[in-house]
Amino acid sequence: MKKIDSALLKFFIYGLPLIILLAIFSYSYDLQAFPPTSDYLITLYNFAGIMLALWMLLSIYLCARLMFSGSFREKVLTRLTFIKERDEREVMFTGKAAKTSMLTTLAILIFLFCLSCFQVSVYSIPPDKAIDGKTKVIALDLKFKLLESLPSDAAQETVQKEILLAYTGLPISSSAVILGLIMWQIVAYNYSMRRLMK
Amino acid sequence: MTKSTMQLKISNRLHVIRAEHRITQDQLAKEIGVTRATIVAIEGGGYNPSLELAFRLARYFKTDINAIFSVEEENVNEKN
Repeated sequence: MKKIDSALLKFFIYGLPLIILLAIFSYSYDLQAFPPTSDYLITLYNFAGIMLALWMLLSIYLCARLMFSGSFREKVLTRLTFIKERDEREVMFTGKAAKTSMLTTLAILIFLFCLSCFQVSVYSIPPDKAIDGKTKVIALDLKFKLLESLPSDAAQETVQKEILLAYTGLPISSSAVILGLIMWQIVAYNYSMRRLMK
Repeated sequence: MTKSTMQLKISNRLHVIRAEHRITQDQLAKEIGVTRATIVAIEGGGYNPSLELAFRLARYFKTDINAIFSVEEENVNEKN
């Protein structure tokens, strides 16, 4: 199993530049507008598709292995995060740095949770709909949804309002948030470790 | 209001004993199985080794653990 995992990991790592090249190519070359005409290009296009599918399948398998296999996780993630535990002092510092990293990440997650739940909008309403003679309204709201749902055909508001400022949750995509948190974990750990090692 | 508490301060003579045995920090680190940074930290008083490492050091120098490490009591004033 270890040999298979090692071979698959190498395939994954060495395939990464090819995937990046494919991504750059598909971004810069519109295949819908200019479909490949020669047999050579069609074969190359099909091969790239198969490679991408294999690489995606491999990514899912390796992610699952990282979650469920302790030894594999230890082997791969310690290298990726530059964790060094050569003696008892470094083991102790690793613990302290991991605690700092975990607590700062938790603080960021709580902050992001608040930002994703809060909704604030400032708008002005027509003078005939004014409340106590005031036409400017601040609306505060809390939103929590377990599942992302498609936009519903809810009854449209009849009051015409001019929105001056609207904040309806995080403007960043979930993928960007997850990637940011992964990067943060690695940076926070290594920064704490360096400070402790001084 | 200040509160006086008793704390134990661990000091060591590792650099003296190491010099007596004419051994470098790097050599000692390799013999004991730790990094040189750990030896530097112990000698500088920045790191107190575990009991296991303290015994390993004592055994390496063929001496008693008390010959390397000593404990002093000191009063620390803490402000509430």
